[in-house]
Amino acid sequence: MAAEISDRVREIAEENDLPESEVFERALERGLETLWEDVVLKRYLDGGIDREEAIEQVGRAKVERAEREQQIVEEDTDWGLNA
Amino acid sequence: MTLAAVSDSGPLIHLAEIDSLELLSAFDTLLVPETVYAEIEAGGVPSGLADVSYELVDVDGEASAKEELDAGESAAIAVAAERDIVLLTDDLAARRFASDGGIEVHGSIGVIALAHGRGRLDADEAAARMRALQRETSLFVTEAVIERGIELLNEER
Repeated sequence: MAAEISDRVREIAEENDLPESEVFERALERGLETLWEDVVLKRYLDGGIDREEAIEQVGRAKVERAEREQQIVEEDTDWGLNA
Repeated sequence: MTLAAVSDSGPLIHLAEIDSLELLSAFDTLLVPETVYAEIEAGGVPSGLADVSYELVDVDGEASAKEELDAGESAAIAVAAERDIVLLTDDLAARRFASDGGIEVHGSIGVIALAHGRGRLDADEAAARMRALQRETSLFVTEAVIERGIELLNEER
């Protein structure tokens, strides 16, 4: 896994003509963004923040996608437990 | 209750990615359209599929084709409609299309819940597999949504 990450970092750096440190920095930013979105969506789905606030923080498309996913997970779980 | 389903490639791939294809044996009958099998074959048939009891079914490609869906999804929907059985798909567009047509549709999460409901997995193992589905597979599901599914499992305890 570590070797695979090193290889990927090297390839990305070469492809974009960037130093490897810059690749790590961008990866960290993107990773943090995703983790932050998970936090916001969790707060919204748990009722901690309202819909408008969630949309303001992560965008309407991600909120609507999470709502649709939640509906599906609830439907599937309820069905599976009772089929 | 006897339960029959037809699957498109999504649940077969996603359950294979977490070594959980055996959960499909919670269904009494499982059908896989030839088109779907061909799609899976193109990426390499997962080894666990050999241990699952399923029947390959042929579907008239032209009759089942739906513009907005791929051939495998279209074939699986056609079989589900024709035989009045459950459709298994993880594709949101296919799910919506089938639901609008009155077909009962569920996905990989439903298969895990069904295996738990039928006593093949305890709640902790079902929760672990739901989390693995979110973290270790190509299925895109928001983490918080998976945790909601696990809450529902636990509410049944």
